[in-house]
Amino acid sequence: MNDRLYINADEARITYRGFAHVDLEMYDGRRFEDLEPRRLFPLSGLTKYITLLDRDMKEVALIRDLAAILPESREAVEKCLDEYYMIPKITEILERKEKNGLLKYRVMTNYGERAFDVRNRHSDIKNLYDGRVLFRDSDDNRYEIPDVTKLDKKSWMKINIDL
Amino acid sequence: MDDTKPLINKAMPDDARGWAENQLCDGETVLFAVVGDLSLFEKYAASTLLITSRRAVIVDENHENGFFSAAFSDIEKVSVKRMYGNARMNFTMKSGEEVTVFRYTYAVADLCDVAAAFIEAVGRGEDQGAQMEIVASAYEKKMRVCPKCGRTLLRPGAECIKCQSKGKIVSKLLKYVKPQFPLLLTALLMSMASTALALLPPSLTQRLVDDVLPNGKMQSLVTIVLMLFGSYVIGTLLNGFRNFILRISGDRIVRYLRNDVYEKAQHLPMKFYDKTSTGSVINRISGDTNTLQAFMLRISQEIVVQAFMLVGIIIIMFIKDWKLSLLALCPVPLVVLGAKYFSRRIAPFYRRIWKRWAAVSSVLTDTIPCVRVVKSFAGEERAANKFKKYNDEWYKVDTSSAKITSTFPAVVSFVVTCGSLLIWGVGGSWVIKGTGGLTPGLLVAFLSYVSMFYGPVNFFAYLSDSYQGALASAERVLDILDAEPEPDFGKGNCPDKIEGKIEFRNVNFSFDRAKKTLSDINLTIEPGDIVGIVGTTGSGKSTLINLLMRFYDNYEGEILLDGQNIKDIDMAYYRSKIGYVQQEPMMFSDTIFNNIAYGVPDAHVEQVINAADVANAHDFIILQPDGYDSMLGERGVGLSGGERQRISIARAVLKNPSILVFDEATASVDSETENQIQEAIERLISGRTTLMIAHRLSTLRKANKIVVVDKGRIIECGTHDELMELKGKFYRLIQIQSMSEQVSKQKAEENFE
Repeated sequence: MNDRLYINADEARITYRGFAHVDLEMYDGRRFEDLEPRRLFPLSGLTKYITLLDRDMKEVALIRDLAAILPESREAVEKCLDEYYMIPKITEILERKEKNGLLKYRVMTNYGERAFDVRNRHSDIKNLYDGRVLFRDSDDNRYEIPDVTKLDKKSWMKINIDL
Repeated sequence: MDDTKPLINKAMPDDARGWAENQLCDGETVLFAVVGDLSLFEKYAASTLLITSRRAVIVDENHENGFFSAAFSDIEKVSVKRMYGNARMNFTMKSGEEVTVFRYTYAVADLCDVAAAFIEAVGRGEDQGAQMEIVASAYEKKMRVCPKCGRTLLRPGAECIKCQSKGKIVSKLLKYVKPQFPLLLTALLMSMASTALALLPPSLTQRLVDDVLPNGKMQSLVTIVLMLFGSYVIGTLLNGFRNFILRISGDRIVRYLRNDVYEKAQHLPMKFYDKTSTGSVINRISGDTNTLQAFMLRISQEIVVQAFMLVGIIIIMFIKDWKLSLLALCPVPLVVLGAKYFSRRIAPFYRRIWKRWAAVSSVLTDTIPCVRVVKSFAGEERAANKFKKYNDEWYKVDTSSAKITSTFPAVVSFVVTCGSLLIWGVGGSWVIKGTGGLTPGLLVAFLSYVSMFYGPVNFFAYLSDSYQGALASAERVLDILDAEPEPDFGKGNCPDKIEGKIEFRNVNFSFDRAKKTLSDINLTIEPGDIVGIVGTTGSGKSTLINLLMRFYDNYEGEILLDGQNIKDIDMAYYRSKIGYVQQEPMMFSDTIFNNIAYGVPDAHVEQVINAADVANAHDFIILQPDGYDSMLGERGVGLSGGERQRISIARAVLKNPSILVFDEATASVDSETENQIQEAIERLISGRTTLMIAHRLSTLRKANKIVVVDKGRIIECGTHDELMELKGKFYRLIQIQSMSEQVSKQKAEENFE
């Protein structure tokens, strides 16, 4: 097993290459191109342990903490992650109704307005302990309420029954 | 399919329609369109992929001029990149340029996959008509969902089980109550009789107070006391017998309901269990059915009785004194309004309590059967802490609901008591003043009726509480009862003989839409072939077997057995023809004999012994104190891994299957045991089509064909020698394994010295 290449702080420069890919240059001159950043913990650790994969999906390096790397590098990686992970943040629940055993939601997100169906409230709506609520719709798309306690009262009344 | 109309997944947006109306060349037609839901720059917006007879066009406002167009002949490659919650389609042009042309969520990902394959195939010069058939079948599959609820239907146009049986929850459950009607009717009549009897004592008390006691009528006193005694005796007998009947009918209801839920749970597809924890299913079968039983009895019995009592008391009260009756009714609106409010507040709590309790049950079902693993990793404290954490969560939610559930009855009781005080105050003053002809006896009797009157009022106020609890339970039980069972299109189709020819044709599969687990699987296995399937962990070997076993049916392409699609063969018959030996053999809590005979319950004793013999299991079974009668636990407590494995092989032997599947059957045993198992396997496989997944490549020495799977694709296929000559993945795997075996051998020798 090879030693894992960790990126801890400013020993690497990461530049945005285009659609969800970056180039990596280490302080010792090693260069890696066309890498895809992915989260190792997409739910529980959004900014920690970001792996950089090459075209063969083999890990080239692992960023321990995005907050610790150079600001330009961080921006590049964050841009890629935003492109790769599409988890719209729900800001308002516009409508919620139950029909034929399906929960039908119409919500406002940071990507715009969206209507989606949830098949099973027990397995497809997860309320995490930090106030986050995750939804999975009938097409396997994901949505997130970053902090359910910060929703407006009307939205809260609508969502309350499913949590 | 209408040949003149393009295939489309939903109404075409205006901009795409405008493009199709104005920009098509002569003789060019739109073949199909995928209406997506994301713009190139990550906003929800309608964008469209149009495939015409000549080119691919993407209408998206973020493209220059609002669209991107490329002739099939200019496109070198189309790649689809599935990301997290979204995907994108890239064109690599013949000029070498790579362009991201279309972005979409998973809602249309399947159609985009097909569109990408179409563009590439037609670009290569393949027949457009033949490709359109594949596209049409993908659209048809997409339409295999219920337009109302979005569930996948058994076949296109089939009636949706969920919507078909929608109805009202109570009417669905009525099916279980109906057979008990005679018993329930008897109980109901008894309840009404005992209720009528209960209305008698206050009137007799009134006579005692107003007439018998003041006038010293001894004879009347004896008669009334005897009448009261008689009414109590008859009432007690009626209630006792009624409770007995109710218990019996209730038990029958829950028995049938539980049986149905359990039976249905057996026939649910694996994908149901992939998404639902076993703890939650167990909870539904045990806890929720009990809640429903209690509720069904309440509905069928108490509602009628309480309503009968309510009406009876109101009539008597109005006959006795209409003015006092009106006073008694004063608190009722408050109680009813309160009940409505209470019902709204408590509903979410029931769902939350259940969710937390299901989490607690999941910890139980995960850790108790795996107690050996827990102990071996010193995980007792962690397991206890995890349980405590979930239990505490349940406690928090339950206690928050307790605030509401305890406050409401206290408030109701207070309001009701105030109602009685009102009657005492007003009625007492009328008795003292002698107004309205109200006597002390009538007042006492009236107060008895009032206290009885609030009983049914309370009952109806609390009914919403149990209704909400039952509704939550019903929802979960019906989730199982209404779930689509494993589809069995070929029921009754049991071919006389299975030769054992297996073909995978263009098979693609993904568990969720995020990542394809198997892609383009094409494989032919001749009858009697011994096929080794190798590959690194997670390469898709077991998934291949899962599809062959029909644990998952929602794949693209076809799997054929002797030229017949396996979906068209009777499922129970089909599975009975496959002997499946897993890496971790599961043992049922039963005797060794019954564990071997699991697949053939009516097997003769000697057949079982022979099977054990073939599997090299007989020799150790006879050394057990109880022999074949030795009881095994859930995971075969008391037996070693190799012994359990040999019992599971004996199970397969007894079935006399046409096809054998070994899923890393010797992965977790030592070399000596491996040899014994290998010996048993070799005896078993002769003349049967055999598929063997193996980590230890040495176990594949008998295989006449080896298939190498990597990242969900078959990358190499051939005999051992052919693959070694190829010097590809298989060669590397052999190299790595022989190196590590050499190292282990050296280490062992060093230690020995």
